[in-house]
Amino acid sequence: MESKSQEGKVLMMIKINLTVNGKRKTVDLEPSLSLMDFLRDTLGIKGVKVCCNIGECGACTVLLDGKLVNSCVVLAADAADCQIVTVEGIAEGDKLHPVQEAFIERGAAQCGYCTPGFIMVGKTLLDQNPTPTLEEIKDFIYGNICRCTGYTKIIEAIQVASKQMEGKGGQP
Amino acid sequence: MVTGTMDYFDPKSISEAISILSKWGERARIIAGGTDVMVDMKHKEEPVCLVNIKRIPNMSYIKEEGGGLRMGPLTTIREIETSRLVRERFPVLWEASRQFASLQIRNTATIGGNICRASPSGEMLAPLLVLEAKARIVLPDGERIVPFDTFFIGPGKTVLGSNGLLKEIEIPTPPKESCSIYLKHAVRGAMDIAIVSVAVLVTSDSKESSANDVRIGLGAVAPTPIRAKKAEAILRGKSFEQRRIGETAIEAAAEAQPITDQRGTAEYRKWIVEALIRRGLNETWKAKARKGRS
Repeated sequence: MESKSQEGKVLMMIKINLTVNGKRKTVDLEPSLSLMDFLRDTLGIKGVKVCCNIGECGACTVLLDGKLVNSCVVLAADAADCQIVTVEGIAEGDKLHPVQEAFIERGAAQCGYCTPGFIMVGKTLLDQNPTPTLEEIKDFIYGNICRCTGYTKIIEAIQVASKQMEGKGGQP
Repeated sequence: MVTGTMDYFDPKSISEAISILSKWGERARIIAGGTDVMVDMKHKEEPVCLVNIKRIPNMSYIKEEGGGLRMGPLTTIREIETSRLVRERFPVLWEASRQFASLQIRNTATIGGNICRASPSGEMLAPLLVLEAKARIVLPDGERIVPFDTFFIGPGKTVLGSNGLLKEIEIPTPPKESCSIYLKHAVRGAMDIAIVSVAVLVTSDSKESSANDVRIGLGAVAPTPIRAKKAEAILRGKSFEQRRIGETAIEAAAEAQPITDQRGTAEYRKWIVEALIRRGLNETWKAKARKGRS
């Protein structure tokens, strides 16, 4: 890391190593860059959506070392030596994650803007609690806002994915 | 607004951080989790110098020591929420952590950040007041301990000034015969800043008929979180009865100095303080009676 003189206009950059969707990267960052802007603008990962940009809507949700975070209020520099997973990273090759499949099957996306965030949250919930109750689902997803669907189909999709992942078939 | 000319430091020790803050003073901004500072940087003003304190080791921990809890300032709200120790022994703090923003924010935000931001409505602050917690702080001239009831000096202002660092939070274990509750009044069930928040801790005698100690913390209704000391004095050492509970609640509302803003009028907030204190005292009294019977 270089620090600059107060008179100079040299842009200060920080070098970090991190893993994004399974790929190791070494990058130079501006220190003020948010993780969201880094993922979208530096790495071209557009599944991370810009919405409120103040950490209140969950559209930019990613996994940082296994924890759900609003990437718009995380410093990109704080992802150093971390593992980032975005919605682009949860399918296995051509095989979509059960939560993604369920969102399609149940029609849980209208405009689709909140969808990547909800999918990350739904997947993480089922990884931690494979058979959540309705209350447990609501309690887990309330950091994500949807303006279109009224949440019913989103919750159904998570319930369907839960059954799917438990091997009980896709019928609610 | 991001300009790209910000200086950045990530000190690896408290003394390194203090020396950077001494040199940069008001021009430096400390970033912990970042959930407040990042919003300011993007939408208000980028600091001249950002000091990222998350590389300082041993600043994130929850441990039992000397009859109480010691907590590192970089402990995330989620770590507090998932701590069995906090849930069982410091439930008023645990309840506040549960109502803090969202899961995504709780995974990032730190208790030190919530404290040093010193928002009058900071979620964790009224509980810290009723737990009579203390801050261990480091200033250029050394380390000292400051009880939280003198730590906050105005909205966004603490005794840390522009060159101090919060090093540790010390929370004494509440008395065994105590019960506590945290109540937050907000428009939505999620993601809302409190219109009014109250923390109540009551210690009663072995017959549960009177209150040996009463502690009332109020959030979002004064320039800082406050203890309603005159209200406490009405009930302290006296028996629990509805009339006295009512008087305590009315006095607590009188001690509040709320403002009118987009979340509510000052008058509404005083009304809610009274309602929440009445409810809080009744709930803790009932919980105490249940505990006594079990």
